[in-house]
Parts: sequence; structure tokens; C-alpha cells
Amino acid sequence: MQKHENQREWRQKALAAIILTALAAGAARADDLPALGDGDDSWRVDVIYENATHYRGKDDTGHEVGLSKFRNTLQVELDKKLASDWDFHAILRGTFDGVYRLNDDEFGRKAGSRRASDLQFENTVSKSGGIVTTVPWGGGLGANGGPWNQATAPFGYPGGNELVQAIYNGGATVGVMPPGLVANTAFVNGSAFSVQSGVGLRMLGDRWHGPDGGVAIAVPVRPCDSDKRGCRDFGGYGDKDRSELEAPEFNDRLDFIREAYVKKTFNIGDDTSFFLKLGRQQVVWGRTDLFRVLDVINPVDYSRNNIYDELQDIRIPMWIAQGEFRFGSSELMQDRNLSFIWNFDKFRPNNLGQCGTANVMLDAGCFFRGMASLWDNGGTVANFAHLSDGSATLAEIGMGMPIGTLPRDMWLATNFGPGQIGIRKVHLPSWSLSNTQFGVKFEGVTQGGLNFSVNALTYRSQLPSLHAFNNAQNPFVASQKGGSSHLIAFDMHFPRVNLIGGSMDFQSETLGAAFRLEGAFTKGEEFVNTARPKLYSENKVFRSVIGIDRPTFIPFISESRTTLISAQLFYQHIFDHEEHRGPLGKYGMPDWKDNFIGTLLIKAMLMNDRLSPQLVMARDFKAHAWAVAPQVEWSLSDNLKLTLGANIKDRSNDDRWAWNDCRDCNPYPPYTAYDEHTGPGPLGLSGLEPVGRFRAGPIGAAWREDEAYFYLRYKF
Amino acid sequence: MKLKYTAFTLALLAVGATHAATEADVDNSFHPYKKGFPTVSGLNAGITINKGNVDQFKDAFDSGLYDMVKDGWVDIKVAASTDFPQPKAYIEATRQNLGKIKLGPNNGDLEGYVAGRPFPEEPDLNDPRAGEKLAWNFKYGANYGDSGAIYPFYWRYRNAASGQIERTIKFEFHFLNLMHRVEQPPIPEITPNPSKIYRGTYAKVYEPVELKNTQLLIHRFDDDQKLDDGYLYLGFQRRVRRLAMGQTTDAFLGSDMMIEDFEGYNGRVSEMKWAYKGVKNILVPFFNHNEQQNLTDEYKEADGYKFVDFHGRGNCMPNVTYQLRKAYILEATPVNPNHPMSKKVMYLDAQTMYPGRVVIYDRKGALWKNFTIGKAHPDHHLPANKGSDVSLDDSFSQVDMQSMHCTTGQFKVHIDAKLNPPRLFQVQNMRGGD
Repeated sequence: MQKHENQREWRQKALAAIILTALAAGAARADDLPALGDGDDSWRVDVIYENATHYRGKDDTGHEVGLSKFRNTLQVELDKKLASDWDFHAILRGTFDGVYRLNDDEFGRKAGSRRASDLQFENTVSKSGGIVTTVPWGGGLGANGGPWNQATAPFGYPGGNELVQAIYNGGATVGVMPPGLVANTAFVNGSAFSVQSGVGLRMLGDRWHGPDGGVAIAVPVRPCDSDKRGCRDFGGYGDKDRSELEAPEFNDRLDFIREAYVKKTFNIGDDTSFFLKLGRQQVVWGRTDLFRVLDVINPVDYSRNNIYDELQDIRIPMWIAQGEFRFGSSELMQDRNLSFIWNFDKFRPNNLGQCGTANVMLDAGCFFRGMASLWDNGGTVANFAHLSDGSATLAEIGMGMPIGTLPRDMWLATNFGPGQIGIRKVHLPSWSLSNTQFGVKFEGVTQGGLNFSVNALTYRSQLPSLHAFNNAQNPFVASQKGGSSHLIAFDMHFPRVNLIGGSMDFQSETLGAAFRLEGAFTKGEEFVNTARPKLYSENKVFRSVIGIDRPTFIPFISESRTTLISAQLFYQHIFDHEEHRGPLGKYGMPDWKDNFIGTLLIKAMLMNDRLSPQLVMARDFKAHAWAVAPQVEWSLSDNLKLTLGANIKDRSNDDRWAWNDCRDCNPYPPYTAYDEHTGPGPLGLSGLEPVGRFRAGPIGAAWREDEAYFYLRYKF
Repeated sequence: MKLKYTAFTLALLAVGATHAATEADVDNSFHPYKKGFPTVSGLNAGITINKGNVDQFKDAFDSGLYDMVKDGWVDIKVAASTDFPQPKAYIEATRQNLGKIKLGPNNGDLEGYVAGRPFPEEPDLNDPRAGEKLAWNFKYGANYGDSGAIYPFYWRYRNAASGQIERTIKFEFHFLNLMHRVEQPPIPEITPNPSKIYRGTYAKVYEPVELKNTQLLIHRFDDDQKLDDGYLYLGFQRRVRRLAMGQTTDAFLGSDMMIEDFEGYNGRVSEMKWAYKGVKNILVPFFNHNEQQNLTDEYKEADGYKFVDFHGRGNCMPNVTYQLRKAYILEATPVNPNHPMSKKVMYLDAQTMYPGRVVIYDRKGALWKNFTIGKAHPDHHLPANKGSDVSLDDSFSQVDMQSMHCTTGQFKVHIDAKLNPPRLFQVQNMRGGD
């Protein structure tokens, strides 16, 4: 009920804002540009159908994914000349993706595990000794016997099971953990998980990496009408039923209205005009492709095709008022413009993709859902509990093992109960004036032909920030809540960010090329930082892109038409970056302090531009990940176009993605203390989960998502 | 070194040797037919020239069109020659600036130019820079007057062998002279204009939907040595993209036209070596639009306007009447050795200084493209254009003779200053689109 009240409130405010702005604007004299083609006052309607079919190869489990998209889109583009020289433009889009039914084993109601034993959680008995066993879902520390203690020993290490079993059952005095530990704690017994809870799950990150000694959780992957576990509204995604995933535009934000705005130019002086554009729209700042340095006004829907769709198709249009004073030329500058944008829409972050769907950017949606489910329901976490004191010998606990003493490098799968770790709440900013977003840009052309802009924007981060709230149930002491530090129990926030930046472009006759540059400095962005008690820090960031476009005659491709070679280099620097070295490895911020990503596009136009082969290559230099995307477009007629392509990715040295996972953060001393601990805080123990995704980046985290695709686009 | 110096001195002497233009030259330049129109025996209004009788009239053809007729590409319907008067203010500006304009030391340098036709005198084959002067006459010609617009403007890509229409593009084009203006206020220049932009060209695509809202803006500077600035707005990117304008020899949107081919030659004087090759009376498609018998109403216009139709092989050539007119043969050879053509021969209409016919040769010197542009008399076109004295572009045909492919253009031209305000030619205008 409250939700509907809020929605009604912000819509009323938005409408009022539109009307007020329009009335204010009406006081000026209308003098719209005489665009001849827009002069017809009849409706202009274009109707376009598109089928997109993607097929995906094997993921990291060795399983052939198969059909990953069978999306059918109907798009209607509407234009009309209104009274008093106002123009109206709208794009309505509805899609239906059949993949959730056609490949329901992978993305639909049959996705994920069939039984608890399909999910195996690692117990690292001895990392140095290479002794690893596994337990099924629910079989971690705290299970206390029963059918959940089905630890399985890897080949060659007999006795591993028994050791784990002994510890599980409290049959040994190990370190600070007293005998019978589980009986007095809030760790849950396997029986706290219903039988069905082992169904419909996958191991987090199993699509792109193995457990490799790191922590791992299970994540529900079925649509939320089939499995509600971990379903949250993370900002337009995360809580969707199958029907909502199939037809994502038909939601309570009316996303089928891709765009709907009116625009008009008013003459307010001899050489000055005021351009006004009101309504749901995309506002594009910046001059670069793919990278979003200044182009951050609209959030982006990465669930549609990760980072590989044109931004026009994946920007999430917002209700925005855009006003621009166009001063024309002066004695010193050829063009001068000052524009203001007010994004008065209710906040929306980027759509990173719901877990269980084909495109989950950075696999983050799965991390969020898995952690939300962990908070709500509890769950097993692989390689977690560390038995710190290795003074006991194996003989003392009756084990015959290839190693003599109890291993010091042991981490056991652990069953956490509800309310102990995970994601608790999502704090999506509600509509209020203070939560709206405002930007200003001066754009001009100098006497010498240099195009430039100076931009400033205050906005809400479109990426979530997880804040450890350190007030959860202490799993070691059932009666205690709170009082922790560095605890992996989070609330999700979207902090305010202030940006200043600029861009420019120019051409070089000598090189026959055009150059594009863009840079931005932000304050307010938040990053994972395991060195901080709340596990995040606010850091200033500088980003820039330099791009060069050079049309080049490549005779073996065409002697009459140039081939476009376009290269870009993206750079990001995080100020006050923290990277500390602990006794067990590095900890602090997983994001790279300095990172470079390069792209190269080679695009030819043949057969009078009706056939266009292209090759896109991208390289994330720090992640050691790359992507290659060959594609051919063929326009059979003005109305029918076919596209065939592939997207191939790979990486090397992916151990460099591992980062401190904070299982060693000692939130509840003395229970969680390692021998090396002197207080709360990490020691540097690392794994690929959960923050390796930030080091792998969007290319690395999707390196096992090679696809071939086919598009058919027809204009009626 | 000595040889170079001598050649340079001789060239300067030759320039100096040409006589200063006079009032009579102006009169002759703008009224070349005051003593009557040219004639060729047997070439009378109403006849049709085809491959069977073209040899009889070979002298009335440029080599490219002759070959096409001889090869059966097209039949030429002949009409009476007519006068295409030029804007009075442009002629007056030519008079007022007589003797004040001269070529600079380098190709592409012009000194003292204010407005009008820079070199109205009859070109002299003995003048080594006569071609350059014609090139300046063309650059500062009265085409579209001070400003003009085309909408709709249909381009069709055709397979010349099969006649199949592969693509239809619906454009809107605008042209604006920011400098050297003679008729539409402000005169002579729209100020402030700190970059000294001479001319702006703005184009927008309406169809097909794949290219919808693609926009092109080109700024040509008065300083001919300065490279044009170009901007492209791509509808699917919603962003203005700076173009590397050194490369104007690309097929524009996949057509048979290079940006450099627009209007016969759309480049800087300094990018070509110019050679005047003489004068010839040739058949060119200059006509009265409203009197054409084969206009098409395939595209419906509310005012009943009908477009020039196309016929001949692959429907590549305009189905209009041709008339015999005096033309200067101007040969342009690219300075850039990597240019895809070896030369283009422009047949500049003596009265309008506009090329009704252009023949383009590839790098090897073989015939590559035949460009034909049809000019309509403004008094026999849209009522609003009457009295403008602007010879109206009405059709174009660019035939790639090697690939058997052509691009045709069908115009609806509007001479109306209100349609071409300066801010339409600002980069920011493109960003305000959809």
C-alpha cells in the first residue's frame, strides 16, 4: 500500500513539474527550426519486428548452455507535429523472450539443482596438503549428524571425511572451539533446511570459475514465481517472475514506453534560442563508444545483452527535463551552448540482470540473490570456518592421515542460519526532490574547430554499494546480536555522486583521423574495501577515454569505400586506493587502482553498404581478459536486415582475480580469530568469490559465455 | 632549381598577361546567349537521339554521355535551348568587384574576393591558371543562391544490370552561405563568424528506418587551405561523431556518390590541379520542370508536386529533355596520389558555372563514373521559387560504369531563406534531435 502511495506521489510531482516547466516555457516566443521533413502534422509511425536468437557454448562446469536468447521485439516509433511548433516523439517497445520456456533447464522453472547432493561445498582439510572433501547443500559445520553429513573424500585422501566428521560432531577439542560447539551456537542443523531447499540452486560463480579453495554459496536460479528465495528488488531486477522476465517492459515503471517526449525551440533573442525537451528520454553526454565516462545520466539495462548491445537500446529512459540555451557564435567561438538537465524520475540503478537469466553483468545479480537468500534462509558456505589452533595431533583425535598434525590451513563448509550473514535490505532512494538528479553542461566550438564540453552532474550511483551493518546474529553465541566488525552482513545503498568532467574532439589532416577525448572526476563513489570495518570506502575516481577514428582504404576489402578503424583506450584511477599486505595475502580494495581497457573496431561497408562485416576486439589489461566479436550485417532490402555474429571471450592468469574474501575478518573474536589475529580485520585470505568479479571485470566474469547469434529485423 | 624558378616566373607572367575583366566580360559571362543559342545541324527540338543516330550528333556530346547513348544506355530527347538567368544581385556583385580579385601564389589562394563571380572573363587556353579560375567561379557560384533547401530528396541505389532498386533513402538537405552573400540579409556575411565558415551543408535522413535521423553537417571555410569540418549524427548512437574530413572520397552512405561528388565537386580548390581544356556546346539536362512529360507521382506530395522520373538501362538516367548549351571543359586531377580517381572532367555550364555533366576516371585512367545533374528553371517549378533566378537542381544520376550500379536523386528544391537559419548549421542542432 505504501509502495503505491509513493508511486502516486512521485508521478504527481513529475506531472506537476512538466506542466510548470511547459507553462514557463510558453512565455517565450516559439521559433522552431523549419525542419522540412518534420513539417507534416500527420502521425508518422514505424513498426519494427526483431528476433534475436543467441546460442551459448559450455560454461565452466562443462555443461552446454544452449539457447540463451530467443527474444522477439515489436517496436513502434511515433512522431507527430503538435500545435504551436511542439514536436512529439515516442518509442514503444515490447519484447517476449522465449528462452525461459524453450530452455527451462537452464533459465526457467527447471533450472538449477534437482537435489541437495547436486551441490557440493568444499571443505579444505589441508590446503598445503591438497586435501579437499565436499559436503552437499546443508552438510556444513553445524549440521550435527544425520543425512547431511555425507562428506565425500576426494580420490587419494582417505581419512579426510572422518576428520571433518569428527569436527562436525564436536568429537575433538580443536583450537578455541569447544567440544560440542554446534550445540550452543546459532549455526543451523541441516534439518533446518527443508528437503526442497536443495532444489533449484547453483553454486555462485560456477558458470565462470571453480571453487578453487575459496568461499562459495548456493544461489537460487529459478524465476521468483517458482522460487522466492533471495528475491529482492535490487532496483528493477532481482524479484521478477517468469512472465516479467519474458516480457520485461511491461512492469510498474511502464518500461514499454521507451521514450515519450515533446520538444520545441524558442527564440529568446536575436541570436539566442532555448531548446526544451520534456518527457521520458535518453540524454547522451560524451563522445566515446561503449565506455560510460560522461554518459551516466540514464542507467543502463545490462540484462538485455551484457555490455554488447548499442547503448541506445539498453539505456533506461528516464523522465527528464532538458533545457538548452543556444547562444550561437561569438567573436571568439563558433558555437556556444549551455544546457541543464533535471532527472526528476524516481531513482533507478543499472539493471545488472537477475540471477538465473542469461545476462548477469559481473555475475553480480547472483551474488546479490545468493546473499539475500543466505540472510533470509541461511545456507551452507564452503571453505569458511577456520580451525585456528593446530596443536592437536591427528592421532589424538583418532585419525590416520598422510599428515601428522591437525592442519593449520583448514577451512570447513559451514551452515549459517538466517539473519547471520548476507544481504539484509536494499535501500532504494525514494522519490523526493533531494533525490532527483541535476546536471549542467557547456558545449562549444572554438574558432579553430575544437569541439569541447564542460560537464557537471550530481546523481545517484547507478551501481550498488554494500555496507556492512555489523549488527547481525552472532552465530557462535545464540543469545548475542550485534557488536561485530567487518561482518559480511550488508545493506545495499546507492550513494550520491558528484561528477565534473569534460570532453573534446578534433581532427588531424595529417593523420586523416578524428580524435575524441573524454574525462571525468567523481566524488562519492563507493567501493568494496575489506580493510574498513564496514567493508567499503568512498573514493574519488578519475576516468578517461581517448578514441581515434580513421577511415582507411584497405584495398583487399574495398578500393572505393574506406574501412573504419576505430580504437579507444579507457583509463580509470581510484584515488586513495587501499591495498594492504596481511600475513595471508593482500586485502583492501579489489578494484584495480589503475586500469586500462582497449577496444578496436574494424568495420567495412560493402555492396553499397548493404553488407557490413566488422570485428570488435576488447582487452581488459589488468584482468588479462579479452573479447573478440566478429559480425556480419546484411540488408536484403530497406526493410529486412539479417545479422550473424559471435562473441568469444577468454582470459589468462585468472588467479590474479582472487582477492581477500573476508572469511578471515574475525568479526566475532575469539571464535573467529586465526592465530595471526590481534583483533577484528582481515589477514588477506583470498578466493575468487565474492569480490573476484570486480577484478575480472565484465569481460573476465563472462569469459565462459561464448555465444553465436542471429538477428532478423523487419520494418513493416 | 633554376628550371623551377623559370617556370614559376613564366606562370606569374602568364597570369599578368591575361586581360583584366571588363563590364563586357560580365555581360558575356551571364548572358552568353544574347546573340543566339548554339546550334548543330539537324539537332532540333523534339528529336530523340539514340544509338542509331548518335554519331550524327557526336559533337554535341561529352565523351561519357556519347558512349552511354552509343551503347544503348539511354535515348536523349532534345528540347529548345533556354536562358537560365542568374540572380541579379550576384551579377551586380560581380560588376562591383571587377578587377579586385586575383589568384594568390598557390593553388587555393584567392585574394580580394568579396562576392559575385570571381573571374567573369572568358577563359583563355593560354592562361595556365584558367582552370583554377573556373574552379573558383564554381566554388563561389550562385548555386542555391545564398541558401536553399531540398525536401524531400530521394536517393535510389539501383542495380544497373537488373534495374532492381536496392535502397531508397529519403533526405532533407540545406545549404547556407555564411559569407559572400548577395541577396538574403544579412549581406555580405552572417556574423559573428569567427571561424570564417563560407558554407554550411546540412543533411538529415528520414528513411529507411535503419538510417533514420542520421544527420551530416559540413562546414567549408573561406580559407581554401583549411580542411572542412564534418560531423555525423548517428541515430542509433544518439551522438555527434566528428568526421575525419580528409577522407571525402568515401561512398556516402553506400551510394555511388562520394561526399566529394556532391554538386559535381564538393571539395576545396586546393585539393585538385585544374586545367582548362576548351569550350564546347553539349547537350545537358537543363529544362522546365513543369513542362516535362514524364514526371512521376510515385511519391505523393500534398501540393501535387511530381518528381523527375528515371529511364534507360537500369532506370539510371533522368527522363527529361536535354538542351544544347555552352560548356567549359574543366579537368581536375587530385593532388593526393592516393585518391581513388585519376581525374574528373567537369563540363561547366558557361551561364550558371554549374556542371551538368561530369565524367570520372579511375586510378588507372579508365572510365569509372558518369555524373549527370538536371537543372530546372525556377520560373517553371514550385510557385515559391519563381523569380529567384536560381537554377534548381532537379535530378542527379551517378552511374558506376564498371560495377554496373547507379545512384539516382530526385529533388524538390525550395529557395527560401527562412528554411535555412544559421542555427540549423550549428553542431548543437543535431544533438537536439531524437
